[in-house]
Amino acid sequence: MKAWEKATAPGTSWRCRVGRFLAFTGICLFFAQAAGCGDGRPHESIVEPQPVGGPLLVRRLTESQYRATVADIFGPDIPVAARFERGIRAEGLQAIGTSESGMSPFGVEQYDAAAQSIADAVLSEGRRDQYMPCIPAAGVAFDAQCAALFFDRYGPRLLRRPMLTGEVDRYVNLAEQGNARLGSFYEGLKFALIGLMVSPEFLLRIENAAPTSENGGPRQLDAYSMATRLSYFLTNSTPDQALLEAAIAGDLATQEGLARQVDRLIASPGFEKAVRAFFEDMLEFELFDDLAKDPLIYPAFNSDVAADAREQMLLTISDHLIKQDGDYRDLFTTRNTYLTRDLGIVYRLPVATRKGWEPAVFPEGGGRQGIHTDIGFLALHSHPGRSSPTLRGKAVREVFLCQEVPDPPANVNFSVVQDPSSTNMPTARDRLDAHRTEPSCAGCHKIMDPLGLTLENFDGLGAYRTRENGAVIDASGSLDGTEFDTPQGLAQALHDHPETPRCLVEKMYRFAVGRDTVWDERAYMDYLIETFRTNGYRVPALMRTIALSKNFFVISAEGTPRDEFTSTGLQAQEGGRS
Amino acid sequence: MPINFTVSGTRSRERLRSRRQQTPCPGNRDGYHHALLRWVALLSLGASGGLHADDSFVRDGEAGFVLSHIEYALSQDAQETGACPEGMSSSVSEIFSRTPAGRRRNGESDADYAQRLGKGGKALATGPGGEDLCQHPEAGKPDPYFHTVEQANIPAFGIDIDGVASSTGAAPAPNTCPHDDLIGMNGEPGIDNQFFRVVGCNRSFQSTGQSNTFATEMLTGSWGILLTLAGVDDIYNDDSIEVGFYSNADPIKLSPTRVPLAYATYLSDPDPRFRATAHGRITNGVLTTDPTDVRFHYTVNSMLLERPLRRARLQATLSNDGEIEGYLAGYAPLEELYDLKFGFRNGKTSAGELAPLHLRSLSSNGAAFVLGHTCTGAYHALYAHADGDPDPQTGKCTSISMQYRVRAIPAFVVDSEANAAQAKVTVVSE
Repeated sequence: MKAWEKATAPGTSWRCRVGRFLAFTGICLFFAQAAGCGDGRPHESIVEPQPVGGPLLVRRLTESQYRATVADIFGPDIPVAARFERGIRAEGLQAIGTSESGMSPFGVEQYDAAAQSIADAVLSEGRRDQYMPCIPAAGVAFDAQCAALFFDRYGPRLLRRPMLTGEVDRYVNLAEQGNARLGSFYEGLKFALIGLMVSPEFLLRIENAAPTSENGGPRQLDAYSMATRLSYFLTNSTPDQALLEAAIAGDLATQEGLARQVDRLIASPGFEKAVRAFFEDMLEFELFDDLAKDPLIYPAFNSDVAADAREQMLLTISDHLIKQDGDYRDLFTTRNTYLTRDLGIVYRLPVATRKGWEPAVFPEGGGRQGIHTDIGFLALHSHPGRSSPTLRGKAVREVFLCQEVPDPPANVNFSVVQDPSSTNMPTARDRLDAHRTEPSCAGCHKIMDPLGLTLENFDGLGAYRTRENGAVIDASGSLDGTEFDTPQGLAQALHDHPETPRCLVEKMYRFAVGRDTVWDERAYMDYLIETFRTNGYRVPALMRTIALSKNFFVISAEGTPRDEFTSTGLQAQEGGRS
Repeated sequence: MPINFTVSGTRSRERLRSRRQQTPCPGNRDGYHHALLRWVALLSLGASGGLHADDSFVRDGEAGFVLSHIEYALSQDAQETGACPEGMSSSVSEIFSRTPAGRRRNGESDADYAQRLGKGGKALATGPGGEDLCQHPEAGKPDPYFHTVEQANIPAFGIDIDGVASSTGAAPAPNTCPHDDLIGMNGEPGIDNQFFRVVGCNRSFQSTGQSNTFATEMLTGSWGILLTLAGVDDIYNDDSIEVGFYSNADPIKLSPTRVPLAYATYLSDPDPRFRATAHGRITNGVLTTDPTDVRFHYTVNSMLLERPLRRARLQATLSNDGEIEGYLAGYAPLEELYDLKFGFRNGKTSAGELAPLHLRSLSSNGAAFVLGHTCTGAYHALYAHADGDPDPQTGKCTSISMQYRVRAIPAFVVDSEANAAQAKVTVVSE
C-alpha cells in the first residue's frame, strides 16, 4: 500500500481520513490535528495492524541504565565512580541517540574507571563473600572452576543472555592471567570482571534476530533481545533472572508468556524508574547539567533548587501517571505537586517538612497549573538573567507537541530582546514586538511567542510575577487557534490539543525502540494512539500495549539480521554447559 | 494529606465583617465609610497583586517574617558625637600598662612585654579571693577606666519606651528608675536606651567594632528570630492585630551571595520560653505592639546563651512588599544581660548542660581583652545605669533599657512539621 493510501485507509472516520490526507500532502499538519484524529469516538475493535518493525539496533546503555544495571546485579551500595559522557539527543530523544552515537576515548576511559570501581567493591575483602559462589581452593595456583562459577553467576545478568562456553573460558583465562601477574585469585578475577564490563557486549545492547519467523511472517528479535528490549523499556534496567529464564524457556514467543512477563515488570518497582527515565529524556533534563542563573537577579537559585526542580516534576509525573493512574493530559492542568523548602522559596509557598518532600496543591487561581508551570520547565527554558517567551514557546512546541521549530537565521540582531531593563520596552512582549519587525524573524516567532508570552507571569527562574520593570504583564496568547490570557488557559489548551497525546505516544514508542518511526508505521502509531485514547490516556496501559505489540519486536525487511548469537545457537551453547 | 493552599482574603474579609458587626455604631456614617475604605483598599490590593496567592506576604490575614538583620541601637561613633570626653574604656592589660609596674622596660622585647602585660592584666582580672572576676564580677569594684556616656544631649537610635521624657522634669514612669533620656537621631526627646550609655565608650561598640556584628552568627544559622502577624485586614491601618515573637528552630536561608531569602519556611521553637505574643496595631504603615516579655537564642564560642527582653515592644514600618524595619525595644535583666554580653556564666552546651568552666572563663576574659573592657567595669556600669524593674525591697532597678534595630523579610512560620511528616515522599533513586 502506498503511503498516501495508508494515510487515507478505510477503518477510520472521514474526518481522520481527510485530515491525514492533508497532513500527508504537507498542506497543513495542523488541520489533521484539529480534525480530531485520536480524539473521536472509541472504535469497537482496535486491532494491531500488520507489524512493520525496524532494523536491528546497537544501543549504548545510558548512564541511568548502567547504574541501574549495576545496582540490580550487585546491589545499590556498589559505587559507580565515573563521569559518563553526556548522551547525544537525536530526533528529540537521547534514547534514539544511543543507537546513533559513538564513544570517545574519554568515554571509554570512564567506562574503565566505572568497571574498576565496581570490581574493586564487589571483590573487596569485606564484600566478596556476599558475591562469590565458591571459595577458591587453597594450595592450587589458580582455581579455574571457582572462577568459572563466578562468571556463570554474573555473566548472564551482565550480558543479558546466557554465557557461551567459549566466553566463560575466555574470562576464566583472563582471570588466570591476572592471577599470575597480580599474585592473587581475587585480583585476577577482578581483572577479568573489568574486562567483561568494558566489553561491547555489556556496554551496548546488541540486538539479534531470531533465525526464522513463524508462518513465514516477518522476522523478529531473538528471545534475549526481546527480553532486553522489554526490560530496559519497562524497568530501565537489565533483565532479571525470571525474565532471562522466560526467554530461555521460550515463553516470550507466546502472547500469554509475554503478557505474564510484561505485567510482572509493570508491577515491579522498576517500572517507576522506567517512566522517570522516559520523562527525563522527553523533558530534556540533561539541560539541568548546564543550568545557571545570575545570583544577583535570582538569589533563590542554587544547585539544590535545580536538583529539586528536576525531581519535583518527576515526582509529580510518577504520582499522577503511576500511583494515581491518571490521564496523561491532566499533567497539564493538575495543581498537585511536591515541594521542598528550597522550592517553597521560589514558589512562595510554605513547606512544613524540614528535610525532604511533601505533597502540596498549588493555589487555585494562583497561576500554577500543569507541569509546564513548574520551575523545572520554566527555568530550564529561560536565559540566565531573564525569561524567554521564545525558548519557552519553542520548548512547549517541541517537547509536548512534537512540532519542530527551525533554528534562527545566523545573522539575527538580538540586541532589542537582550535588554530586559529597557524602559521604553519594559516587558518581553514589547521587546519581542520590536524584534518581530524583522521579516526573517517574524515567521518563527509567530509560532513560539504566543505560547511563551502566556508564561511571562513567571520570571527567568519561574517565580510568579505580575509586573516586569513596573509594567503590568499581558499574559494573553494562543495555541493553534485557541486563545487565552492566563497560564491556566494555556494549560487547558495543551490538555485539549490533539497533538498532546499523539506526541506522547510517538515519543514513547521511539523511546522504546531507540529509533525514529518510519512512514510505514503510521497505521501502527494510529493503533497506539487510539488504544491510548480508549484507555483513558493512561501511560502504563500505553506502555503495556507497546510491550505486547508485535511491531515492538519485529525486524523490518530492511533490517540486516546477524547470524551470530542467534537464540538457536545460544540455546545449543547453553545446552552444552548445563 | 496534601497541603492545600488557598487564595487569601476570605478569612480576612470574614474577620472584617465580624469586626464591623461588633462595632457599636449603627448610623455612624464615618464608621461605614472607614469600613468601606478598608474594603476598597483590600480589593485594590488584591487587584494589584497585593493579595495574590503567590505574590502577597499577607495570606488569610496572616503573615510571617524572619529577621534578616539585627544590631544594637547605638549612635554615631563617640569621636563624632563627643560622647566620651574621658576617652574610651580599657582592657585589663591596657590598665596594667598604665601602672608603674606595667610600663615597658628598657630592652624588653615585644613578646616579653606582651607576656608581662597579659600576666598583669590577669592579676587585675582576679579577685581578692582568687576569683575570676569575669565569672564573679560582683566580687570586684567598679572600674574607673570603664567609661560610659553620661551627657544628656547625646543623640542615639531608639524610641521612647516609658512614655516619659526626662527633659520635661516629669516623674519617672511606673516600674522604672530615674534616668536621663537621650535624644533621638532627629532630635526627638525621651529616648530610653541606657544600654547605649553603658557601652557607648567601648571601642568594640563603635562602628568598626566587633560587638555589634553579632548578626553574622544569625546568618550562619546559629540562631534566628521570627515574627508573625495575625488578624491583618489592612497593612496600612489596622487597630487590632496579634504579633508573635519566636526563636527560629531552623537556620536562615541565604542566597549564594549570603543575602537572606524571602518566603522561606521556618519552624518556630516549640519551647514556650522562646514564644511570645502581643497585641498590636498598624497606623499609617507603622506597626507597634504592646509590651510583652520575649526571649531568643544566642551563641558565643559554641555556648548556648539566651537574649531576654522584658516588656519588649516592636515599633517598625511595614512596607508594601512585606519588609519590616524598626526597633525592638525593652528592658534587659541585668544579670542575664551581663551573661549574654560579657560573662557567659550560664553558657550551655548543645546537650543543655553548663559549659565547662574553662570555656566560659576563657571566653569572657578573652572577649574583655580583645574588645577593650573589663568585666567588673561592665557589670557595675550596668547596675549604675539600670532604669527598669526596681527591686521592691531595695528600690534599685534590676533591668536596663536596650533597643535593637531590626529588619525582617517575609517568611512562612510553621509551628510543627507533624502534619507534613505524615505524608513523606519516597524518592526513587536511579
